[in-house]
Amino acid sequence: MMIDVDMALIISILASTLRRTVPLLLAATGGSFSMRAGVIDLGLEGMMLAGSFFSIMGTWLTGSLWIGLLFGVVSGVLFSMLHAVMHINYKVNGSISGMAVNLLAAAMTPLLLTIVYGLSGKSEIVESFSNFDPDWLMNIPFIGPILASQNAIFFIAIALVIISWIFMFKTTFGLRMRMVGENPHAASAVGLNVKGYKYFGVAMSGALAGLGGAYLSLGQMGMFVKDMTAGRGYIAVVINAFGRYNPFGALAGSAFFGFFDALQTIFQSVLPSQLVMMTPYVVTILVIVFGLKGGRAPAGTGKHVED
Amino acid sequence: MEIVRMEKITKVYPGTVALKNVNFTLNEGEILSLLGENGAGKSTLMKILYGMTEPTSGDVYYRGEPIDFRRPVDAIEKGICMVHQHFMLVPAFTVTENIIAGSEPGKNGFVDMKEARKVVKDLISQFKFNIDPDTKVENLSVGEQQRVEILKVLYRKADIIILDEPTAVLTPQEVDDLFIILRRLRAEGKSIIIITHKLKETIALADRVMILRDGELIRDDVDPSEVSTNELSEMMVGREVDLQERHPAKNIGEVALRVSGLTVEEDGKKKVNNVSFEVKAGEILGIAGVEGNGQTQLIEALTGLRRVNSMELLLNGEKISGTSNKFLRAGIAHVPEDRTSMGLVKEMSIKYNLILGYHREDDCCDSRGILKRKDIEEKGNRLKTQFLIKAPSVDAKIEELSGGNQQKVVIARAFSHDPKAIIIAHPTRGVDVGAMEYIHQQMIELRDKGAAILLISADLDEVKTLSDRLLVMFEGEIVSETMPGKLSDIEMGLLMTGGRSMIEGEL
Amino acid sequence: MRLDNLKSSKYSNLRTSVVNSFFALVFSLVLGAIFISITGYSPFETYKAIFWLSFSTIKGFALTLSQATPLMFTGISFAIAYKVKMINTGAEGQLYAGAMAAALVGAYVTNIPGIVHIPLAMFVAFIAGGIIAGLVAIAKIYTGASEIILTLMLNNVIILFTSFLANGPLKPEGSGIGQTERIAESAELMRLVPQTQLTIALLIVIALAIIIQYMLDRTVFGYEIKVTGNNRKAAEVAGINVSKISILTFALSGAVAGMGGAAMVLGVNYRFIEGFSSGYGFAGISIAALAAYSPFGVIPAAFMIGILRAGTITLSRTTSIPIEFVDVIQVLVIIFVAAPAMIRQILNLFKKITGKNKKKEIAGGEVQ
Repeated sequence: MMIDVDMALIISILASTLRRTVPLLLAATGGSFSMRAGVIDLGLEGMMLAGSFFSIMGTWLTGSLWIGLLFGVVSGVLFSMLHAVMHINYKVNGSISGMAVNLLAAAMTPLLLTIVYGLSGKSEIVESFSNFDPDWLMNIPFIGPILASQNAIFFIAIALVIISWIFMFKTTFGLRMRMVGENPHAASAVGLNVKGYKYFGVAMSGALAGLGGAYLSLGQMGMFVKDMTAGRGYIAVVINAFGRYNPFGALAGSAFFGFFDALQTIFQSVLPSQLVMMTPYVVTILVIVFGLKGGRAPAGTGKHVED
Repeated sequence: MEIVRMEKITKVYPGTVALKNVNFTLNEGEILSLLGENGAGKSTLMKILYGMTEPTSGDVYYRGEPIDFRRPVDAIEKGICMVHQHFMLVPAFTVTENIIAGSEPGKNGFVDMKEARKVVKDLISQFKFNIDPDTKVENLSVGEQQRVEILKVLYRKADIIILDEPTAVLTPQEVDDLFIILRRLRAEGKSIIIITHKLKETIALADRVMILRDGELIRDDVDPSEVSTNELSEMMVGREVDLQERHPAKNIGEVALRVSGLTVEEDGKKKVNNVSFEVKAGEILGIAGVEGNGQTQLIEALTGLRRVNSMELLLNGEKISGTSNKFLRAGIAHVPEDRTSMGLVKEMSIKYNLILGYHREDDCCDSRGILKRKDIEEKGNRLKTQFLIKAPSVDAKIEELSGGNQQKVVIARAFSHDPKAIIIAHPTRGVDVGAMEYIHQQMIELRDKGAAILLISADLDEVKTLSDRLLVMFEGEIVSETMPGKLSDIEMGLLMTGGRSMIEGEL
Repeated sequence: MRLDNLKSSKYSNLRTSVVNSFFALVFSLVLGAIFISITGYSPFETYKAIFWLSFSTIKGFALTLSQATPLMFTGISFAIAYKVKMINTGAEGQLYAGAMAAALVGAYVTNIPGIVHIPLAMFVAFIAGGIIAGLVAIAKIYTGASEIILTLMLNNVIILFTSFLANGPLKPEGSGIGQTERIAESAELMRLVPQTQLTIALLIVIALAIIIQYMLDRTVFGYEIKVTGNNRKAAEVAGINVSKISILTFALSGAVAGMGGAAMVLGVNYRFIEGFSSGYGFAGISIAALAAYSPFGVIPAAFMIGILRAGTITLSRTTSIPIEFVDVIQVLVIIFVAAPAMIRQILNLFKKITGKNKKKEIAGGEVQ
């Protein structure tokens, strides 16, 4: 009997770990595109937040989950373009332009909530992605129930990680994008369109972060809540550095953070909620200060090529 | 057979005319040396040919047909490639990746690494380059990196290869190797242009010499076998210069700076290994060596910028240790190797740069730490006049000055604070002949006033001309002490690359 | 109005900054007008009402200044850190830390006169903010960690932790919301205008701005800060202890934000209340940008944003113009100030369009 309970708990924690991994994983993988193209990924938080909000709005407007998801991705890209234009065209420091995206999303989403829904702080509830739980999957012991409590976006995310890795390290485009990120002058000298690759990297970060944001709202609660991302975009920045700007590294890092996040549920009953909610931030601080030794960002990060 | 012709090229930048009506031709299978001082227009001319910039007026013909390159890719497509002075390589990539990136073999968007490695291997063996295609470029020596650059060009099937200051960072042996490679390329029918200001190399290598001065074409038909370096330098500068003239020290005094047992470890490697030497008052001690053999670490140790594993430094018998502030206070001045990044704050005014490092002295601030703005202004004006710094006022920002005048600000600051000893690194890197003469003259004056000068320079000619005594550094050790002029360049070159035993045998 | 060919001297730099900030603000207000239009109000009337509220009555003016006061603290805070090219996104957390520290001193240190109590509470808040920022700077210098992410994460930690204190151990009995005990009367800041929230905190922050500006322009410490900020390597070569200067400057930045929290507790709320800051920390970034990162310039910049904040708060009670509208304006200011070239291009575009319109007007002037 005891074993049964423990098993159920383990399964629930692991299932919860995966659910908390997905948004981080998508954002961090997006961030690796941006960083590999030599643009700092500090705007992930804002792109995610935009994705959360606009995916709900898309579904609210059209009634379709998938169109809502598309809204989330496109809004992530649009917000990322602010970062891209400021940093790549106007040569604004990437940290500043990234923060501008974050602050804009943080300011605009509550404003739009008020304007569109007349509600302050949260949106109306729409449909959300349901779990993927066919019978055959439930019958597989252990892994079955864990995977069964995931939705479609989870499987999309895993596929995207693999595709992203292949893209970055096996294709011509990926090699060239990495060259731009490592040494834009060298890339320019062999005739590559440096700005184009940078724009691409940033747009990919916007698309994936937007998708990650959509997972939080459309993939779970079916509604948007003010400041819904709660710093996950920043945590994704750290995960990305932790994972050496590699999608598989991002996977490992996200799972690590997702696990700590999932542990919260256990402590919730014992400790005051504020202290429990501090965990991911404390873990992030510890990782930044002690866990990033020996890592190296692409050498050309933040460098521009004169026109 | 003429391959490129440029007619009446004029290029105007805001404020300056970089090229005035310059005509240029290049023949198939020749090595053309494009000679000129900094700012003479040679780089601009090549940038036009390479499509990096467009001429204000004038025409470019390639094999007789007019062309209008907008981007370097256009030039690359026609087989015109450039080896830049600052290598365009990705240190984190392998040799193969560096060579193929931008024109990769493969299909459906995937890179065919197998094919790439094969092509690169073939190229390496065809030209006997002796490089492993799978090493990361960050692990290669400077000479090997240059060979990767040349491979990049060959991989792109270049017919015309432009090399910008290719020997600036090479050892004498590496220069010889490069020349062998270039001659081999010429034999294969390639046309080569080298942009340079080094006269000896021009004479040794080129088939034809073209000289630019102040944006104008002086000569384009000089036969290097018929001219001397002095004649070339006169054509280049427009007047007689003699940078080779020595001014031996007249009054060498007691030992001022004594360094013993200096060891610096970095990443577990001994970058400076048990180095000891002394510099006397009124003497210039030169340190020759190929860059990257511990000079940077040596300079940083002697100026307090780096923690050392062991060192005893005595200045006039007094032991000095601690931070760079302590070293400066004690009277060890420093002219850093890269003036804009290490010696100046370009956003700040001349007068505030002239006190940098000495801003805590009594003539700059009072005991409560308040700056004496009037005194700083006066001091600025005095030094501006004394060191001939060309600027509208001492309130002008450093970024508004030319490179030569920026260097004068650094020199003025270091030389005017009565240094007992001074560490000078690469004082004339990137400055033109005029500024070079001026700086050399100032150094000799300072020495004759009794300062102990340690000169570290990668320019062998500079070290030989200025030094009263010479040390050669290789892999963090002093491998030889000699007097300037005693050893030939070849012998010096051997010492600089670790050929100690051979030379010692001969001595 | 030409932004490009201004050169050298001090005054033209100042002029460039002022012109730049002016257009940044104007463009942000123009874009903000779009949001007002969506809500169905006339942007022009709304802006007029906002402006009128600040200048028509003494109370309105006092409200503006009291709204601007915490922004001055956070604006100065961001500007100082930026002098060593470090970005203090942690003013929000440092503000909370300072507020909690001041609330504790205000409530639990009693029986001392105001002349001691107020400075003591302010000082403790100064130290609290300073230590937090100082630790971040130390982590940045010695491990290379990004101060931006560190401070942002710390914001969450501090806000949650103070909220835990205000809901748990420090909560007064019978209180419905998360807050601490009321401070002693001796710790209350004197009001400048009766029945408003405008207190001597305004004078304190103006004095602070002047002192810090003087320190930057006239002292060796300020000189070393500027050298470090512009070129760290050159600073090292010049014998400046770059780590020390960076840590001290960043700590000072946090300390000033901490004082801002104290000002809110001692002058406005009289206790620590969870969630008391309406985004003062991030507003500081915008204000510092508008002030071209000059500590003294923060005073007028914060005043301008204060007009918007005070006016919008009053308007939001009677209309459906949301308060969040000001936050968007603030971000737009950051964007425009960061990219002066963008302002220049928009101006040129504007010139072209108006140029064309003029031609059209001449051609088809009578049609209308």
